[in-house]
Amino acid sequence: MFKKLVTWARVKSPWILHFNSGACNACDIEILASLMPHYDLERFGVMLKASPRHADVLVCSGSVTKQIAPRLKRIYEQMPDPKFVVAVGACACSGGAFRGCYNVLGGIDSVIPVSAYIPGCPVKPEAIIDGVAKLLAQLDKESA
Amino acid sequence: METVKVMLYILVFPGFLFQMIYSTYLEWVDRKLYARMQNRRGPLYTGWSGVLQPVADIVKLFAKEDVTPAASDKFMFNILPLVALASACTAGLYLPVWHLTGFNSFQGDLVVVVYLLAMPSFVLFLAGWFSVSPFSLIGATRVLTQLFAYEVPFFLALLTPAVVAGSWKIADIAKYPWASGNWWVIPLQVLAFIVAVLALQAKLERVPFDIPEAETEVVAGPLTEYSGKKLAVFRIQKDISMYAGSALIAALFLGGFGGGLYLGALQLVLKTLLVVALLSVIRGACARIRIDQIVSFSWRYLAPMSIVQFLIVLLLKGGGVI
Ligand code: SF4
Repeated sequence: MFKKLVTWARVKSPWILHFNSGACNACDIEILASLMPHYDLERFGVMLKASPRHADVLVCSGSVTKQIAPRLKRIYEQMPDPKFVVAVGACACSGGAFRGCYNVLGGIDSVIPVSAYIPGCPVKPEAIIDGVAKLLAQLDKESA
Repeated sequence: METVKVMLYILVFPGFLFQMIYSTYLEWVDRKLYARMQNRRGPLYTGWSGVLQPVADIVKLFAKEDVTPAASDKFMFNILPLVALASACTAGLYLPVWHLTGFNSFQGDLVVVVYLLAMPSFVLFLAGWFSVSPFSLIGATRVLTQLFAYEVPFFLALLTPAVVAGSWKIADIAKYPWASGNWWVIPLQVLAFIVAVLALQAKLERVPFDIPEAETEVVAGPLTEYSGKKLAVFRIQKDISMYAGSALIAALFLGGFGGGLYLGALQLVLKTLLVVALLSVIRGACARIRIDQIVSFSWRYLAPMSIVQFLIVLLLKGGGVI
């Protein structure tokens, strides 16, 4: 009963933190677009938070460059458990167009564990919403 | 019987339980109105039309890991959220809603409530100070700077109805229009009402006065390091402060909550909703201003406005009209 309540709350109120680990900025604009009035993610209780301490979901865009890798890791470690990572865009999933560059490590999962991959270059806001919804549904199923 | 009534007053209505539940509802109203102002829908799928969204947020925060930064002062860091919540809840107890006795209604309780409503700001400053992170330190100093800007106009504005009623007791001030029949004093005090609403907005650190927690500049200000349960307690405190502040303004400026338990409760709900709606519209219609702008705005416009209002009331009082 108590567990059910907590899962319900978790699914209904994912607060996100947006982190650009080396994207070309197109994915970031799409993430912001999905928070704007036209798509309005707040309908699902999603809120953009500024501090990693407040966030539940780390939304990463872009491939991980060598310079950003330790920072990405630190941001991830600053988030309180339970936490999830969503990789947004082809770059974040695998390195995308920048895979194999001298300064690029690869996708987000080369540094921190990723819970959901959303492909696209850049991703559509609909795809982001779909990905987040699927992650939440999975969360709901796992704990049920 | 008397003790039971007092306990009910403290714990159920209009005390802790009522405040907890009603303030989450107020937050929902605020978020919905804010969303409508931005052409959005706001929370939609949590309960009926998203009405349980604030509850879900709080439950989720309570179930999260609670991080205490190594550099912070552990004792202060942990105790401060509770102090803030306690003072906000206590402020709500002095509202003249239902069963008034010597403990929740006395000469000078207006001063006590204003003090209790200012406490959370001090706590926020201390919270930022003791969490020892650059962002929270900057946020903390901004909290104090802002406090000096809005607190004086707020107090001057609340002084006006006290002078009209000739009493420092909130219950007497709220009763004044009912007892004397002078209903025209309510439109007379519109200037003070505007100042009080704007100062309350600044007290709650909402747009356009959300300078201490400006997320584009200082992450989340004093609350940057807070997570989990403590953040949840701060959120509840914010909501209860919003409730207590708007109910205080409703009691002083909008004729209070007379007429027994049921009529009183109905008036309490309607009048606080009105004030909260005003606050949300201000939040939706404005952009954030700078810290120097809020200081000059408060001292150049809000303080003179409340002094003018005070003089008008004082002259009418001296002339024997009120
Ligand atoms: S996936 Fe495409 S749009 Fe997104 S960051 Fe990479 S290159 Fe840019």
